Order: sequence, then C-alpha cells, then structure tokens
Amino acid sequence: MTILCVRFQLPPMYEAALPQLLGLLEEFTPVIEALPPDGALADLRGAERYFERDAVELASVIRVRALALYGVDCVIGAGPGPMLARMALRDARPGLTRAVPEGEERDFLAGKPVAALPGVGTATARTLCEYGLDTLGRVAAAPPSTLQRLIGAKAGRELHEKAQGVDRGRVVPNGISRSLAADRPFDRDELDAGRHRRALLSAAEELGARLRAVDKVCRTLTLTVRYADRSATTRGRTLKEPTAHSAALTRTAYDMYEALGLQRARVRSIALRAEGLAPAEQAAHQLTFDPVDEKVRRIEEVADRARAKFGPRAVMPGSLAA
Amino acid sequence: MPGFTHLHTVSGFSARYGASHPERLAERALERGMDALALTDRDTLAGTVRFAKACAKAGVRPLFGAELAVAAPEREAERTETSVRRDRRRAPVRGGAFVDESAPRVTFLARDGARGWAGLCRLVSAAHTAEDTPLLSWSDNRADGLTVLLGPDSDVGRALAAGRPDRAARLLAPWREVYGDALRLEAVWHGRTGTGPGSLRLAARTVGFAAEQGIRPVLSNAVRYADPGQGQVADVLDAARRLVPIDATKELDSGEAWLKDAGAMRHAAERIVEAAGFRRDTAHRLLEQTQATAAECLVDPEDDLGMGAVHFPEPHLVGAGRRTAQRALASRAAAGMVLRGYDRRRHYWERMHHELDIIAHHGFASYFLTVAQVVDDVRHMGIRVAARGSGAGSLVNHLLGIAHADPVEHGLLMERFLSKERVVLPDIDIDVESARRLEVYRAIIGRFGTERVATVAMPETYRVRHAIRDVGAALSMDPAEIDRVAKSFPHIRARDARAALEELPELKELAGERERYGKLWELVEGLDALPRGVAMHPCGVLLSDASLLSRTPVVPTSGEGFPMAQFDKDDVEDLGLLKLDVLGVRMQSAMAHAVAEVKRVSGAEVDLDAVPEGDPATYRMIRSAETLGCFQIESPGQRDLVGRLQPSTFHDLVVDISLFRPGPVAADMVRPFIEARHGRAPVRYPHEDLAEPLEGTYGVVVFHEQIIDIVAIMTGCGRGEADRVRRGLSDPESQGRIKVWFAQHATANGYDAETIQRTWEIVEAFGSYGFCKAHAVAFAVPTYQSAWLKAHHPAAFYAGLLTHDPGMYPKRLLLADARRRGVPILPLDVNRSGVAHRVELVSESRRSEGTVWGLRLALSDVHGISEAEAERIAEGQPYASLLDFWERARPSRPLAGRLAQVGALDAFGANRRDLQLHLTELHRGARGGRGDQLPLSGGRRTASAGLPDLTSAEKLSAELGVLSMDASRNLMDDHRSFLRELGVVSAKRLREVQHGETVLVAGAKAATQTPPVRSGRRVIFSTLDDGSGLVDLAFFDDSHDTCAHTVFHSWLLLVRGVVQRRGPRSFSVVGSAAWNLADLLEVRREEGLEGVAARLAGAGGDQGDDPEGGPARRRLAGSDGQPAPTGSAAQDPMERRKIRMSTGYEMHPWADLRPAGEDPAVGRKLWHQSPGSAG
Repeated sequence: MTILCVRFQLPPMYEAALPQLLGLLEEFTPVIEALPPDGALADLRGAERYFERDAVELASVIRVRALALYGVDCVIGAGPGPMLARMALRDARPGLTRAVPEGEERDFLAGKPVAALPGVGTATARTLCEYGLDTLGRVAAAPPSTLQRLIGAKAGRELHEKAQGVDRGRVVPNGISRSLAADRPFDRDELDAGRHRRALLSAAEELGARLRAVDKVCRTLTLTVRYADRSATTRGRTLKEPTAHSAALTRTAYDMYEALGLQRARVRSIALRAEGLAPAEQAAHQLTFDPVDEKVRRIEEVADRARAKFGPRAVMPGSLAA
Repeated sequence: MPGFTHLHTVSGFSARYGASHPERLAERALERGMDALALTDRDTLAGTVRFAKACAKAGVRPLFGAELAVAAPEREAERTETSVRRDRRRAPVRGGAFVDESAPRVTFLARDGARGWAGLCRLVSAAHTAEDTPLLSWSDNRADGLTVLLGPDSDVGRALAAGRPDRAARLLAPWREVYGDALRLEAVWHGRTGTGPGSLRLAARTVGFAAEQGIRPVLSNAVRYADPGQGQVADVLDAARRLVPIDATKELDSGEAWLKDAGAMRHAAERIVEAAGFRRDTAHRLLEQTQATAAECLVDPEDDLGMGAVHFPEPHLVGAGRRTAQRALASRAAAGMVLRGYDRRRHYWERMHHELDIIAHHGFASYFLTVAQVVDDVRHMGIRVAARGSGAGSLVNHLLGIAHADPVEHGLLMERFLSKERVVLPDIDIDVESARRLEVYRAIIGRFGTERVATVAMPETYRVRHAIRDVGAALSMDPAEIDRVAKSFPHIRARDARAALEELPELKELAGERERYGKLWELVEGLDALPRGVAMHPCGVLLSDASLLSRTPVVPTSGEGFPMAQFDKDDVEDLGLLKLDVLGVRMQSAMAHAVAEVKRVSGAEVDLDAVPEGDPATYRMIRSAETLGCFQIESPGQRDLVGRLQPSTFHDLVVDISLFRPGPVAADMVRPFIEARHGRAPVRYPHEDLAEPLEGTYGVVVFHEQIIDIVAIMTGCGRGEADRVRRGLSDPESQGRIKVWFAQHATANGYDAETIQRTWEIVEAFGSYGFCKAHAVAFAVPTYQSAWLKAHHPAAFYAGLLTHDPGMYPKRLLLADARRRGVPILPLDVNRSGVAHRVELVSESRRSEGTVWGLRLALSDVHGISEAEAERIAEGQPYASLLDFWERARPSRPLAGRLAQVGALDAFGANRRDLQLHLTELHRGARGGRGDQLPLSGGRRTASAGLPDLTSAEKLSAELGVLSMDASRNLMDDHRSFLRELGVVSAKRLREVQHGETVLVAGAKAATQTPPVRSGRRVIFSTLDDGSGLVDLAFFDDSHDTCAHTVFHSWLLLVRGVVQRRGPRSFSVVGSAAWNLADLLEVRREEGLEGVAARLAGAGGDQGDDPEGGPARRRLAGSDGQPAPTGSAAQDPMERRKIRMSTGYEMHPWADLRPAGEDPAVGRKLWHQSPGSAG
C-alpha cells in the first residue's frame, strides 16, 4: 500500500501547471511517474518510514499542500502497486482517499468491470463482455488457457495475473513528455475545405510559435477532426525531423488533412497536437543547398521577435489576416 | 400592357428543389393577371395532372415542359486512346461525397399538341435510363414538337458566364442542328452580381449573343416558388438535396425566383436590354418574343394528354382473338354459367345479360377480359388470388373467375360497382400473396409487354419528422438533438408543427424550449407536403394499349427495375389509364404457408376455398374473442366487437366487418344492432316494404347496398340512379336537393309523410359512410378461412403468421398467443429449423386428436441472416458437430454467434459462451488461411472452455435481441415477484374483476393507436401483454397530461385504471396513471421498495381518478374506439379545433395519427404495424 496515484483537478487545457505540481510530489519521494495531462504515480516506500506516516496520511498532506500552494484539489488512490493505485483512484473522491490494503486485492477487484483495469481497452473489454467475463471476479475464475484463447497468449496471461491482484508494475520515474495542442472550433457545420485549411494553418502557426517560445521541437503531429455527430477522426504523422518550424508543421498538417479526402463531412472542430517534445538544442536539422529554406527560417526568427515586441497579431500569414 | 408568361417554373414535384405546389402557382398566376403558365419540373412530369387541373380551375392556360440534365455531345476527336481520365477524388473517410449536380440543364416545352407531349414523355423516360442521376444522353436528345430554352444553366449559358462567346457559339451548333428554329435563349435576372447565373451581365450577354446568332431570346424568371420571401425554404431544399448544411457565407438563394407579375418582368426586361446596349424600348421585343413562344406551345390537357379518355389493352391480347371484346366476354360469361352450374336458373341469366348490357354501354369489355386474363395467369402460377372491392358485386366477375363469392346468393348489387349512370372507371382490386407480389408483376409485364404496363408512382412527401430532420441538418443542428426533437413528434403534417407543440400534452417539454430552435419551426412548416422523393406504389399496375409510352413518362424503379409511370394513382385515373390494383396481402401468404406445412407433415391436402361453411369449432373460437392473427378481426376493437356480437354464420362475419368502420360508428349502428340481435330490442322497419333489404341486419342499415335498395324501393327509380343518389349524400349541398327529390318521389309512390321522414333520417344519418357489402363479403372470406385454420391447424397457422407477419401485433405476441393455446414452441435448432417457420410432430397418440404439433422457430427470424445463408443452413442439415456446421453451412461470424446465443447450436454440447469461443477460433483459423487444420478434436461433442454460461435473463435478452421474440418463456415472467409485491392483477384474473374496480395492470406494450372516435376526443388505446393474456387500455384526455408521454415512450408499462365491462368477453381498463415499468424495476433492484414508493409518490398522475366522472366515461370506455357522444366532458382547448365531418361526426384534430414512440428498450423492431391486414 505504498504507491499513490494522484489526479489533480486541473481545468482543461491547463497542462502547464503539471510540472509545478509534480515538484510538490517530489518533496515526498523522487520516484514519480507523470501521467499527463493531470496525474502522477508516486512510490512512497521510502517516504513512509521517513515521515513516519502511512501512505493514506501522506495523501492527506499532499492534498492539503496542493490546495494551499496552488489552489488545486486532487483525488488520490493508494495501493500496493501502480495498477491497484490507479484502480483505487476510480473509487476516490476529493477528501476521501481510497486505499487497497495488501491481501485484499482480489476482493477489491472482484466486483469491478473489466474495462476499469488499466491496459484493458474498449476492444478487449468488448471481447471479454461478449463471453460473459464482465467483471474481474469472473475473469479471475476463468481458466487461464481460455483467457489466452480469447485475447491472445501474452495479453491473456497478463490479464489473468492482474485479475488475481498480482501487480508487477513499477513506478518508473520520467520527465514530463509534454504535448501542445491547438484547437480551432467552428461555430456551425463547416464543409468548406478552404476554411478547414485556414484553421489548420493558424493552428500550426500557433503551435510553432509556442514551441519556439519554450525552445522545444516536436517529433509527431496529430490531427483530430471532430464532426457534428460527435465522432472524430484522428491521424498522426511523425515529422521527417523534429522541428518547431511552422512551415514544416503546416505542410504535415495539410498532408494529413488531404489524406482524409473530406467532402460532405460536417466538421465542428479541427485540432492539432504536437507530441514528443524535446529540447530544441538536441534536434538535428538536415541542411540543404536551397537558400529558400534558410531564408524562411530566418524570416520566422525575425517574425517571432516582432511578435514578442508588438503582440501575436503583428506578423501573420496573409491568408489569416483577412 | 401586354401580359407575361413564365416559361420556366418548377413546382414542389422537382424533389427538394421547388418550394411551391402546382396549385399555389396556378392560383398566383391568376391573381397576378397571367393567362398562361408553364410547369417545367426537374426530371419529372409528375406534377402535370395536378397542375392542369389547378389551371383549369383558375382559368389559366397550362404549358407543359420539363427541365432535364443533358449530356454534352460526344466529340470523336476528343476521345482518343491516350487522353487521360481526370483522376477521381479520394474517397472521403467521413461524411460521404458531394452530390454531383454538374450536368448542364435545359428546359424543354411541349409545343405541338399530342406530338409535343409524346416527345416530352419520351425525353423524360430516356433521361431516366442513365445510371445514378437522370441524364439525357445526346443521342436521345431529339424529339419533335418541342421548344428548347437554353438558359444560364445550359452549356451555352455557362460558356457565356465564363466570358467565352466563341465557345458558346461552338456549343450552340449541335443544338441548332437538332432543334433548329425551336431553339430559344433564356435570359434570367435575379439581381445577382458578377457574371454567374441570375446576374444582369449574363442576362445581357445572353440577349446580345442571341441577336448576334440570330436566335430568338426569351425572358424568364426561373421560378422556384410562388411568393416572395420563400427564399429561405429554397435554401433548406438546396441543402437537403445536396446533403450539406446551409452555408451563410456562400451564395444563397437570391429570393427573387418567385412568380413575378408582368410589371416586374417588364422592368427586368428593360434593365437587361439596356445592359446589353440596346435602347430601352427594345424591351418590348424581348417580351413579345417570350409571349410568342408561349403562344406556340399549344398542348390541350383533354385532347393531347388524354385526360378523360380510356385506353385498354388491345382485345387480341386478352384472348378475344379476332372477335370483338364484347362478344368474347359474353361467350366467356356464358361458359362460366355452365361451368358453375347456374345455367338452369333463369334469374342468373337475366342478371348476366343485364350486366353485359351495362358493360357494353360503357365499352368496358376489354377491361373485364384484361382483369380475367391477369387472374388466370396468377392462378396458373399457383398463387392464391382473390378479388376485393365492389367488383365482387358483379356476376360477370364471378363468372370470369375474378371474384370468389356468388353475388346473387349474398345479395350484392352490380349497380354499386358499375351502372349506366356512373361514368367513372370501375375498379377491381385483386389480392395476391404478398410474398409473391413481384412475381405477379413480372407475369403481367411478361403478358402485355413493357410498352403497355407500368407500375404507379407514389410521391413521398414531407411530414413533420422528416421536415425537422432536413431543416435541422440544414441549420447545422446537433444530430442527436434533431433526432430527439423529430422522434418526440407523432406522425403529423409538417404544417401542424407549431400547433402540435402548443396542444399536445406529450410535447409539453419540447414546447418549453421551442425558442431555442429559432427559425426551425417556420421552415419545417414551409416544407409541408412537398414531395421529397418517389417510390413505387405498393399495388397499382397500369395497363394500357401500346401508346402508353407516348402518353406517360416511364422510369425504372430503383430496386427491381420495374417500369414505373411518374404519375401517382389519382393522376393515372384522370389520364384515363387503366389501373389494376394488385395488392400483396400477407394473410394470403400466411395461409398458403400454413396449407403447405399441413401438407408437408401430414400429407393432407387442405383446400381453403372449399372449407365447410358454418364450422362450429371455428365460430366457437371466434366467439371466444381469441382471434389474434385472424384476418380483419384481430384488433382490440374488433375483438371487443366480436365478443359482443357473437357471430355464428358467415353473414354475421360480413356484418361484423362492416360495422367496424368509421361510418357505422358515426351513425351509431353498433349498439342498436347488438341490442336487436340479442333480442333486447325489437326489430323495427320504417315501412314493411323495406323489410326485405333490412331483414338480415335487424332493421339497422349497415351496407351501401341497403341504402340503394331503400332509395330504389321508396322512389321507384332504378338501382343505378339510386347508387348515384347514395354518392350524392356525402355532399351537404346535394343532400338538400336529394331530400326534396326523395320526398316527392316517395309521396308519389304512396308513402305517408311520417314514413318518409323516418326513412330519410336513416338515409341521412348513413351519409356516404357505411360499408359496401361486396367489400365486406370479399374480406369475410379470408377472415373465415384464417379462423378455420386457427381452429383446426393452430401450429401451421402460427407458422404461417410468423413467417409472413401479417398482423398489427408484434411477433412475440403471436408467440404468446400460441403458447396460451397449447401449441408447443420449439426453440431454434440448426439441425431442425427450416428457412421458414415449420410444424413439427411433438407427440403422437393412436387417436388422431391426441397428436400434438409444435411450432419450430425459423432461421429467417434470426437478426441479420441473409436468404442465402438460411437456405444453406437448411440444405446442409443434419450437422454432426460444430465443426461440421461451420464448414458446410459457412455462416458469417456474427450470425454464428447469434445462433449460439439463442441456443440453436446447443445440440453440439458445451455451453453457449463456450460455443462462441469455438466459433471465434474457427473463424480466425479460416481467416488465417489454416482452413484445413482442425482446431477441434473432431469429436461430436464440443469441449467446454470453462466460460460462465448465459444466465436465464441473458438468454431471454438474447432471444429478444436476435429473434425479437421471447421464445423460451414470456419476458414478464421474470418480474412476477415484483408485480406480486405491487399487487398487479394479471390479464387472466382480470376477467373475474368487477366492473368499476380500480386495479393495477402491467405488461409489455404491444400496439398503441389514437383512432378517431365518435366523441371527437383524443383517446389513446394500447394493448399490454403480460404472458397470461392481453389487457386493452384506454386513456382519455383528462389523463393525457400525465400519461401520454409515458405511454408513447416506454415499452414496459405499469398502469393504474378502472375496469370497464360491457359483456362477458368484453372488458378493458381505463388508465388514470402510468409508469415506465422498466424504470421501476431498476429502482426496485437498486433502492428497494422504499425507492419504488418514492418514485410512485413523486411522479405519475393522480388526476382523473375521481369516481364521479364515472358514468359518462364508462360509456365511453371500451377499446374499440367507437364510444358514445361525450356529454359531460370537460371543455378543453381542442374543443374549438375539432374537425367536423359532414355527417356531424366530430374528430379530434390529433386523432388518427401514428403516435410518437421510440424503439423498444430491448431487441430490435419489437412491434410495428404491417400494412397487410389494414381495411
């Protein structure tokens, strides 16, 4: 019962606060795994002895500090392993930390739906439910060979173990691999490809500017198109080289969009997300003999400076200015 | 001031394009002083007849035309081997492709009378031979007697818009070659900017180009709607057609395309000629050209369209050989006399000759021969066929083998069908097995050829739900929201949307948020009754001579590719085309299946047409009112009526069917009839002379035939004249005249004033309602036959019913009925079930009565099974193991899973979930190309995989989901304990409950209706099934506020109500409060009884429960929808809007609608009404 799973109740699109909050956790233990956008796992094995409090008590301390320092509430689940801590989090509320004591894992899990288990996605859950294995108790009771027949050898074995309460996971400390997102909603069903491209261009420009402002580059770009019927299409593409160059981002975004071939789809919003952020100084850049590329990047640098001085609308692509 | 004629006008028949009905256009043309108007709908001539009639009424000369998409002339030079096709756009991942409207459009007007009309018909027919959207290929683009308008949307117009007069001239050449002098260039000014369609510059360029090329220009307004301000509706239609939302930033409708008057058009002409660089006074030349073009187009609706004339197939096609049709008919009828053994009866001969005289008088002999030919053909195919309608009253029809019942014996009159005084086309409807209806169509087409036969169109028009969906989508509303709003409406007219919001209790919630939707309601009402598509009429077939194609545009239907005339059934009659109604009746199919099953299992041949009359077991069953599934007498109201009427002969059935009609209900014939029948009231006749016609119905007028006889006897006029008089009764104006005439003639015949007065009262009350006895006799035949089957071969009868689903009830109710009547239901089994439902021997004893036949469920009822799959499974039987089944029957994965779920594979061992797993692995194995490998040991039994089996509740829900029937047991059985806690009375025990007692009933809703009732109030009738029987419910309007929404939108219901009894077998429950039982069950499970108590205390109405309102309401009570007049009923806002019928019969404005309601909570289509057994 030494692992905590903390979920901060951050307002949406306020991911930037996470690093500070993780700093707060670091005062208790160095073994922290960030779960972006708003959560973290913390291994308190050493801390319990140091602070002479058990994990549940520490959880209260963490919550009080988060509220006092940042005004952010949080929900905390505790358990012997990361998986159980996460499961416990689902039962917790602000002010009530749910803890799974050691030895009671099976009973705790028995009544839970299979989809609650981390690592069981919608597809697996659907398969399991189809065969009547809708709770983890039933999964635990099913013969392991049958589980393997259902969802494959490795997944079946792991699921069987997890359903028994065997949690082999560890908290792996990591830096925050952040991502940046730009959303462009439309106020009605938009079918016009021209306006879609404008939204893409402006989102890519914004992402580029934001990345450059924090000296980061991104490796992957994800496009999410949401439709009127609340469904969405998501496409991701890895950039040729990690970059924060707006023109490169725009090109990739356009390519992904064209591949969708939308005609009559009723688009309600277009979102771009830059993922796999890394420090800009570690990025490689393929030089070319084409002077244009060099010039464009220099102009971008200048434009960034102009924007820093005169505001974000000081310099922008012509098609967005209209 | 010279007038102006609009040469380019579309109506609502241009689906999702035109916004006004033809009648409206004709009216406006009159109001705006035009003396001619053209109708040029897109790709269709369907509006022609309505337009012609409206124009005749308005005194405006109609011009006929059509706007067609025309393919460009192919140029050999451009089509070389090396030319690369433009690559297609990528297939969209979402939302579908754009609707292609790129083909240029040209307007064709019929000019030279019948020749022009024929040309127009041929062009429209030719345009519809293209794949996908209608497109006239260039090679078909030639016809005589047409005037062609090349407007802004034509290829020439587009070239001009693009600023390419050179290209326009080149494109013009082929048009000139074909149409020469009949070519016109059409200028349109809608006040748009730029050079696109509707712009002043394009109009001016067109006029200039015309002058340059020496082609006459005309002015038009490309009218899409009758009045200014309808532009928004046009926008919605555009959006609905293109399947996109309205984009306010794009070019919307200009709002100018309305039927402008001559002044406005002259103003337009002046602006256009000025912009073209001519003097302003040349405008009158443009207008003159337009008028001259209009004046040339002379097509007369009577002479040229053939309205009023009749066209029958040529006599040699209907077996007349070289004789005349009349002589062939006479000899066939005489042969029929001998064949049926009537040849020694004098009055049969007299009647036959009398009828032949009438037929000869009208020259309809070919018609009778045609119908006889069709009926013969159908019979030869082994398909059950029966005549229905007034045609059954003709002896000649009977002799030709068209009608089954002998009209002389049943007292049916020829005059009701056809007389010398009647000048309309007679109509004979024939019923065939629904499952083989299309076969019949093919046979008719094969017999007469496609140049003479076409099916009839049926325009689908906007009603409120569709209108909301299309407008909502055009306005970018949230799809889930649109769905919710649309579904909460009953199936009413779109124009009533706002009134319904205000008045219907079940829409109260929605009415509260109506402001949120802004323009929605207005636009929804704007779409009212506009055609949005066209379908094949389910029963009409046109039969004509070889000139059909030059009088009617014929298009192929989308599914089967039958030729279909663009006109609907009313138009067809006006055009003098002979229409034969071939109705597919599911009951006929069901009975055919039942008979075939009896033959298959026992070898006994059942001839339904020769079942003994007056079978006591059959009438015992009918009198018990357990007539579920019997033709015509299965509805709640009919079961009630049958219970009160207690029929014991065929004639009683005929009367019963006739009484259950709005007419007799309105004239209140039911009560006196039943009183007299059971001897509780004396039989009275207005005069002893009338005893003969009224004898059979205890002095109550039930049939049309009786009115004809009464009038004929009292006034001494012939029956033909009497029938004409009867038809006149429905019109209040002529009613007055008839009254005077009737009194005069009756007095002359020596009747006293009092008798005349009393008789007239009866005749008047009858109005034009009542029922044609010939119809009733035709209906009663299958009624008796189906009841006979139910009484003697119940298992086979249910097998037929379930296979062809003929009734108003969901299949699961029929299954419950079968269970109640002791027919064992055998579960689905891949080794035993057939494609259709089958009869199976369950236990046999030596005496034949002890033999029990069971009903084996059919593979075809499994959700998502294809015909081929079902047949393959049935063919491969028996299967030794799961593997064997998988390999030979080759079911799809989902299908195999469903079969396992409902236990069809139980014979292979293991539990149903284990079977699923094995199936999945078999599927994977097959997909992975390891088809030869045996994943299972090959043994007969399948090994267990240790998965939990389906619980009993899961099995039931699987049955509902897969078969939409609770096959193993009734679904209410699971809730018994809760219902016992509540003290719910079962349907079975309800029979013993006293009149006036308050009870709780519960069950699954089977059918809900709001039929028109005599009191003019809206009553919701519903039937609940609780496993032990059916409970018929009635909700009166004092309970609607609290109950209506629950009743319409829940599937399992708990209802509090008062028991109403009207006879030993006739009772119903008048509901005062209703709850959704599914909700309550969940509350019970989760919160216990306390939660249920809280729910009952909170919701559910307590109103309408007062014992005071008793007597008045109790008289109203009854599930038959025919209660007595109101009296003490509370005044409600609807009172003012009651629809008053000419007979004084009031109707609630929202009665007789298909009520709202949602899909059942479990399973797919659990109940729906099939059109099969409707009256």
